[in-house]
Amino acid sequence: MSFVFAKPQAGRFYIVAAILVAGLQTLILGYIIQSRASILASGTEVLLKTAPVDPRDFLRGDYVVLNYDISSVPVSTVTGGIPAEAGEQTLWVRLKRQQDGFWGIVESSFKELPAASDTVVLRSMPFYSYGPNNGETIRVEYGIERYYVPEGKGKPLEEARNEGVVSIAASVSSSGAAQIRSLVVDGKPAYEEPLY
Amino acid sequence: MYRGRLERDLSLWVEKGLLEEKTAETLLAEYDGRPASFSLGRVLMGLAAILLGAALLLLVASNWEYIPRLVRVGLMLALIWTVHIGAALLFMRGALATANGLLIIGALSFGGAISLIGQMYHLSGDEQTVMYLWFAVAAVSAILFRSAAVTVVAGFLSWASFAVYIENYDTRWFGFGPYAPLVMAAVVLGLVRFTGADRARHLAYLLVIGWLAWLYALTEEISVAITFAVLGMVAFLLTALPVRPISTLVRTAGAAPAFYSFLVAIMGLFLLHTEMDEGGRMVVVGLLTLAAAVVAIVLHGRDNGAVRYLAYGAFAAEMLYLASVTVGTILGTSSLFLFSGLVVAAVAWVVIRLERRFAAGPGSVEAGEERA
Repeated sequence: MSFVFAKPQAGRFYIVAAILVAGLQTLILGYIIQSRASILASGTEVLLKTAPVDPRDFLRGDYVVLNYDISSVPVSTVTGGIPAEAGEQTLWVRLKRQQDGFWGIVESSFKELPAASDTVVLRSMPFYSYGPNNGETIRVEYGIERYYVPEGKGKPLEEARNEGVVSIAASVSSSGAAQIRSLVVDGKPAYEEPLY
Repeated sequence: MYRGRLERDLSLWVEKGLLEEKTAETLLAEYDGRPASFSLGRVLMGLAAILLGAALLLLVASNWEYIPRLVRVGLMLALIWTVHIGAALLFMRGALATANGLLIIGALSFGGAISLIGQMYHLSGDEQTVMYLWFAVAAVSAILFRSAAVTVVAGFLSWASFAVYIENYDTRWFGFGPYAPLVMAAVVLGLVRFTGADRARHLAYLLVIGWLAWLYALTEEISVAITFAVLGMVAFLLTALPVRPISTLVRTAGAAPAFYSFLVAIMGLFLLHTEMDEGGRMVVVGLLTLAAAVVAIVLHGRDNGAVRYLAYGAFAAEMLYLASVTVGTILGTSSLFLFSGLVVAAVAWVVIRLERRFAAGPGSVEAGEERA
């Protein structure tokens, strides 16, 4: 590569380098923030029930681990078969609003599901599938499994979660990505999430 | 390390009257003046930068709720721009140590910024992508600023990335992840050559060694261990070949290629030992290990201290192992040692004769005195 930057030491090149590096970092950070905000702004809102499951992330302070009813996908809902080979897979999960207001699984597939009225298709994070013979449910994550709270405020929230009174309102984009819109305790929003 | 040896040798030569004291001082001064040589100030500046970077990351972790999100993002971006522009200005003024310190902070603060955003917006999952991005940004910074310090940061980030993979997927083969350490090691080696960060070379080699160990844990097949032993030995023999492109590459990389290829071979032999711990197969593996150690000493023992000690270590460990397990009977072990002793003595005899011939020959001034 030395021929590309034959003389990087030359004076103003450093300023160009600084702008390129800082600019690249800014672009990446901006992209992360914007892609989340756009999901919140234009996605479909679903209400998800959490299930009882606290680790501490070195870099990210306190957070509550969220486990949803829809995190365990019943094998009986899978259409189109389960890949025979173990390996990296993605699961598409179709949610529908139930009578109690929460959204539940009506269908799932290892291939992309088409959009249908009154339902929302959620795409799981890539996960390791052990193939067809592995229990009655498949564990998946959707990228909304952590809720960060100010240091020291995680415990009460965890207790509330374990009592089963915490639910999450999430926004789902047309491509199936989800973001947390608000955390609801006992039916009342405890933390609202602004766009930015 | 090298400076200490150099100083000792120089004073010895002055004592013997081989060298003027003035020349010795000039030589030392020349060595101290080299940009790559050890400078306490530079190292302390690097450590200070790492501490400041860590302080920053922990500040992020404390999750200051009193500052609005956008202000926090703004502060983070301001920091990123300030350290990079500051580094550029310092480079132009020639204040290399401080400039590199700022670049280290810049590379670390990018990871901090991503964590901060993940925390503020409750983004979870995909730590692996974050590690790839972080490594890539550090690599770009190292190239553009031609910074050896950031190359070291990139080297450690490549480890961190592999660690995240192992934490998430353990010994499962998942997507592109398993290939990433190899790609990153290659990138780091390229950065090492481009920025002159010679010592960071070890980070790349060690990553590959760790990756190979993981590969074995993944399969636990004898064939993998045999492949390690054979390919490691072949690569090691290649580093000793006096053929043009190889010899130039090897010479400019110092002791590392020979040492690490030999280490892979030894690793393979060690794993074979754990698989074959009795009978004739064990004796064969044991003899192969002894032979590998002797070959290593013959080929690189003279110029490459690291290879020499690894070979001594492997040889001694093998002897102790064979003595402790007993081959069949005590008499069997005894004859094995007798046989190996005779072979090693024969090799020693040949080597001594060769060394004498080299020493007596006209080209006795050896050029390959490079050491790790």
